[in-house]
Amino acid sequence: MDAADEWLVQSLRLYRDLHTFELQAPTRLIEWARGNRVCVAGYGQSDGNEILQLIPPPTLLTKETQGLCPERDFKVECGGFSERPVYSLKYVPDTSLLVTSGPPNSSLQVWQVSAEDSDVIKSVSTLATENCTGQSWAKIDTISARAPWVLHGSRLDRVQITEVESRKSVYTAASRGSEELSGLAFLDCNTLLLCCATGRLCLADVRQPQSLVEATPVPSAPCSEQWCLGSRHRAQPSEPSSQPVARLSSRGLLTLTDLRKTSEFLALAKARVPSPGSGAEFLCVSWAPALEGCLAISERERNKERLNKGLE
Amino acid sequence: MPEIKVTPLGAGQDVGRSCILVSIAGKNVMLDCGMHMGYNDDRRFPDFSYITQNGRLTDFLDCVIISHFHLDHCGALPYFSEMVGYDGPIYMTHPTKAICPILLEDYRKITVDKKGETNFFTSQMIKDCMKKVVAVHLHQTVQVDEELEIKAYYAGHVLGAAMFQIKVGCESVVYTGDYNMTPDRHLGAAWIDKCRPDLLITESTYATTIRDSKRCRERDFLKKVHETVERGGKVLIPVFALGRAQELCILLETFWERMNLKAPIYFSTGLTEKANHYYKLFITWTNQKIRKTFVQRNMFEFKHIKAFDRAFADNPGPMVVFATPGMLHAGQSLQIFRKWAGNEKNMVIMPGYCVQGTVGHKILSGQRKLEMEGRQILEVKMQVEYMSFSAHADAKGIMQLIRQAEPRNVLLVHGEAKKMEFLKQKIEQEFHVSCFMPANGETTSILTNPCIPVDISLGLLKRETAIGPLPDAKRPKLMHGTLLMKDNSFRLVSPEQALKELGLAEHQLRFTCRVHIQDPRKEHETVLRVYNHLKGILKDYSVQHLPDGSITVESILIQATAHSEDQGTKVLLVSWTYQDEELGSYLTSLLKKGLPQSPP
Repeated sequence: MDAADEWLVQSLRLYRDLHTFELQAPTRLIEWARGNRVCVAGYGQSDGNEILQLIPPPTLLTKETQGLCPERDFKVECGGFSERPVYSLKYVPDTSLLVTSGPPNSSLQVWQVSAEDSDVIKSVSTLATENCTGQSWAKIDTISARAPWVLHGSRLDRVQITEVESRKSVYTAASRGSEELSGLAFLDCNTLLLCCATGRLCLADVRQPQSLVEATPVPSAPCSEQWCLGSRHRAQPSEPSSQPVARLSSRGLLTLTDLRKTSEFLALAKARVPSPGSGAEFLCVSWAPALEGCLAISERERNKERLNKGLE
Repeated sequence: MPEIKVTPLGAGQDVGRSCILVSIAGKNVMLDCGMHMGYNDDRRFPDFSYITQNGRLTDFLDCVIISHFHLDHCGALPYFSEMVGYDGPIYMTHPTKAICPILLEDYRKITVDKKGETNFFTSQMIKDCMKKVVAVHLHQTVQVDEELEIKAYYAGHVLGAAMFQIKVGCESVVYTGDYNMTPDRHLGAAWIDKCRPDLLITESTYATTIRDSKRCRERDFLKKVHETVERGGKVLIPVFALGRAQELCILLETFWERMNLKAPIYFSTGLTEKANHYYKLFITWTNQKIRKTFVQRNMFEFKHIKAFDRAFADNPGPMVVFATPGMLHAGQSLQIFRKWAGNEKNMVIMPGYCVQGTVGHKILSGQRKLEMEGRQILEVKMQVEYMSFSAHADAKGIMQLIRQAEPRNVLLVHGEAKKMEFLKQKIEQEFHVSCFMPANGETTSILTNPCIPVDISLGLLKRETAIGPLPDAKRPKLMHGTLLMKDNSFRLVSPEQALKELGLAEHQLRFTCRVHIQDPRKEHETVLRVYNHLKGILKDYSVQHLPDGSITVESILIQATAHSEDQGTKVLLVSWTYQDEELGSYLTSLLKKGLPQSPP
């Protein structure tokens, strides 16, 4: 029996269900879209990086194992082409727009997802940020509360919120240093979460641009260690956050922080990462949307490990 | 400009009944002649009225090409040749020729015997149709006539499936039919050389699909089969004799050997021998592993898979049975199904498409109470599963093929127009070619730029390359010669050689112009003035004052005479050859302006 067949037999023992799909080009992101769609995008240096909105097969969308379901393939619902690598992509809720970012600078691209009579994702506009030339690519998040907004920034002193359609800047965060950001997020329409590559975590209130609250710093580590962020949107601003914020380092150190009590860690754990210290380029930690208290982490080797919140 | 015209008669922007008409350099070729399996009326056939309203099809079409034996590519062939009327050649590969009639007959039986249709082709028509077939080998250039040639390339997909190149002179089209760019357990992957056709016609059914990997499908299939036999159940897999059955047999054999499983696996009586016969006959159509192993043993003679006897169906305990026919519409597979359907421990796995009206189609649609012969009701408690193992190229595979063949244009069939705009842009952007998506009955014209080969004489080549800058592979060089056409070939030769070959004498064409100049001096003095004037202006040219009193500028001759009636006027005769027309005209206009005043 050859190696591929041997793996097939082993996989029957290892996995209850297994689905493998090969994209034409690698992606460093996968995002959920409205209607259970997913979106992936290429990040090659040459132009023609595809942005694909995909319809997952029914086999992936139901809880029960479907057996030998005839519909097993992802369908490309619509697609577009980006001249730049796409490192980050976010849909703008309640609109048919999405925003992307990627090198060579911190500007953002806005796209129109297809109309009914076409399957093409079209480029609509570019949001040039202040002094975007020479800056690394911007991390982004979106929200549609007062208006469709995109939160973006490549460094702690370059964080802004821009209205997507009018391209007006509606918020600029107070500067507290120029560290590179590894992630940022809207916790709700008023609260922002900013995470630096060093692990430094800050909270900001959109209504009070001058104030930034810092959370407990991460355990000190070699300066090459990098951190990434996993958080979740709150539905309402007033709802107390029961969902801690996760930070994961390139050495596999995982911290959970309760935002109601940022002075201490809720939990610390050591996760197994295949290439510790290899950098955080493909490092990702996220809360599972449907599984309470479960985190997923992924790294360059594309191993996926699901962890419970209660790890020590 | 020359053009290639393509009209889908079926499969343009829909799936099923593949049939495409191509006109190339005055030749008309029909590609595939498939049936639409979803319809029971005339819509199941391609619309042949698009071909020609008047005149016989045999006179209009130069040939028909069939890519493989699936009914959506050949199902309408006997209808077309024997009922609509076509007597010309039909080309297909050897395996397709062997297997096609079996499927056609099988389908005819379902339609006529089972469903009672009357306006359908008969068994004799299938035989008469197959008499018109010319079988071809892979990579063999077949001369259909003096100008039209075709060549088959390996397509994977099913045994004998081929992609076809159709060529007339320098113009060519490649039609893919169904193909697969990844090898499977018994067939290889499609392959074509960098033939750079003017047009590549390819299926786009799965072009907007990212397919679940074959390994995962196999894994799920094995898991289901294993779970069923582990709990003591029986698994029925209705199959056609050739095709996916061999793939699944190799898979199960490998798994059973690895897991040391003991539950028996059976293959319908007669099926094994038939399949073995065809795979031995067409061993070159299988993949490398099968061919290499075949030297030691026949990979289709299995250790764990035995011939089935109908009595085995009543044996207790688990088993797996491959039985024909594939849609549960008759024969052994239906008999076994009837015995096993009432037990929920058992399972039936349908590995392919089932035509409406068959038991296979009914149970896949969810029907669990079936009316059988004699009005008996059969309650189906066994598990019903469907798994398609058909091997088609997805988006990645289609792009791979285009990269291999390097066509100048691409035409997509089998997809919905609205859902192909992105694919069209993708192809156009990546390969910088035009991409077309015609609907049924819509004709697409593709302009071609055929290269006409011309031989150049060695003497001319040497002479021309000696003039001017050295030859550079990256820079075109303009050459002058005479184009001769003889016996359908072209040659470029020097004018002298052309005259010689044609037996013609060379004539020189000279122009003469008279320019009047006011100058009372003697003629030789006027000539001297003209000489000095021209010498001063035309510094880059050879200006000479000849002993006979004439002036030459390159090959242009200037002579001065006195005007017959006015001694104060001199007449300059300016004469030049056709090659020096430009300089001659310039000199004439220069002289007409007059001469500068000479110093006292």
